[in-house]
This record gives sequence, structure tokens and C-alpha cells, in this order.
Amino acid sequence: MEINILSFGKIAEFITINRLDTDEIFDTDGLKQQLEKTYPQLKEIKYKLALNKQIVQKNIELLPGDVVAIMPPFSGG
Amino acid sequence: MTDKKIKNIFVEGAISTSFIADSIAKHSSKKEIGGHSIFLGQVRADDIDGKVVSAIDYTAYQETALAQMHEIREAIFNKYPLTCMHVYQSLGTIKVGEICLFVFTSSAHRKPAIAACEEIVERLKAELPIWGKEIFEDGTHQWKENK
Repeated sequence: MEINILSFGKIAEFITINRLDTDEIFDTDGLKQQLEKTYPQLKEIKYKLALNKQIVQKNIELLPGDVVAIMPPFSGG
Repeated sequence: MTDKKIKNIFVEGAISTSFIADSIAKHSSKKEIGGHSIFLGQVRADDIDGKVVSAIDYTAYQETALAQMHEIREAIFNKYPLTCMHVYQSLGTIKVGEICLFVFTSSAHRKPAIAACEEIVERLKAELPIWGKEIFEDGTHQWKENK
């Protein structure tokens, strides 16, 4: 399954991939685990995911072609 | 009263004082308004461990931020008897002393305008995927976090 990845803020400084191709990820929790394994720095950040532009509140199933944004704490205003 | 279409809040670069003045002037024809409340965010020369901030570079996940702002707008219009609500957030590099956020609410009487303005600022900072990169005078940077 191929997932599109968008990274923002300080996360974009170390997660620079735009695509993830994997047969082992089925949902957003699985994706988080995979990302934290590959990028241990992520564990230090209170990040949120957005799936297809919607902020993820609980675990959601992923489908091929989904767009997942990885977002560090917000600092607008 | 509420707008169904999603409004853009993002402006490239700093928000000029003439833009703010024009926004105020545009409301003189709305005779039912008795009070305006305005919040202006200004980039501060923060001193962090001896390094001084010279600018903040703002980026956003724009579509998600605008959808989130739309929800806030609807909630605020349902909660307070407002005549108008305007929100502008800068993107790009904003220098110290420049305005990066402009929130403007109007109502018949002062209290709803003041309360709504404050609530919008708090919710915008907490809920909108926008990031500020603080650029120091020596060219290094750190990512701002809202408190």
C-alpha cells in the first residue's frame, strides 16, 4: 500500500519523504509506530496526524493513496 | 448570518496598518454596530538564551487550517450576537515589530465583540495547523510553540 506523506514545521526537517510504500501498515496507529521506529526524534514531539486533511482524533484505517500529514504542535498567531 | 463558503484568512507577508485602518473604515456604513474589538499580534524580539529573534517565518497546512477556521467561525457566530468577524494570519517571513495576526469582531454592544475576539485568538492558536519558525539575528532558528 502506498501512502502520501506531508510533514510540517520542525518535523519537515527530518521526515523528508513524500511517500511510504508498505505492506505492514493498516491504520494510523500502525503508521505512527512505523514512523517513530524510523524517526526516533518523533517520539519527543507531541505531534498530530491529519488524514486526507482531517485531523485524526482516534485510530483510523488507511487506504492506498491516502494523504497523511504529520504535524508538530501548532504555533500560529 | 454565517457564511457557508470557506473564507481565506491567509495573507502573504505582514499585515499593514493601512489595511487595518481600511478594514475599520469599511464598517462605518454598518449602522447597527456599537462596538468593535481588535486583536493585533506583533512579532516580538524574544531573547532566548542570549539569542534575539529577528523575524518569524510562518507556514501552514492551509486547507486543513481553513476548514478548522470555518468551524470556529460557525461556532462563534452561533455563540455571540456578532455583526462581523474578520481574521487575517500572515504567512512567510514577518519581521520583529510587524503585525502577523489581525482579528476584528463587531457587535451592537461591546461585550460580545470583546469575548468573541478573545475566544477566536485562543482557538486559532490552539487549533489551526500553523507553524512559526523563529529566526534569530545570527541566522539560526527554532520552532515556536504556543503556550
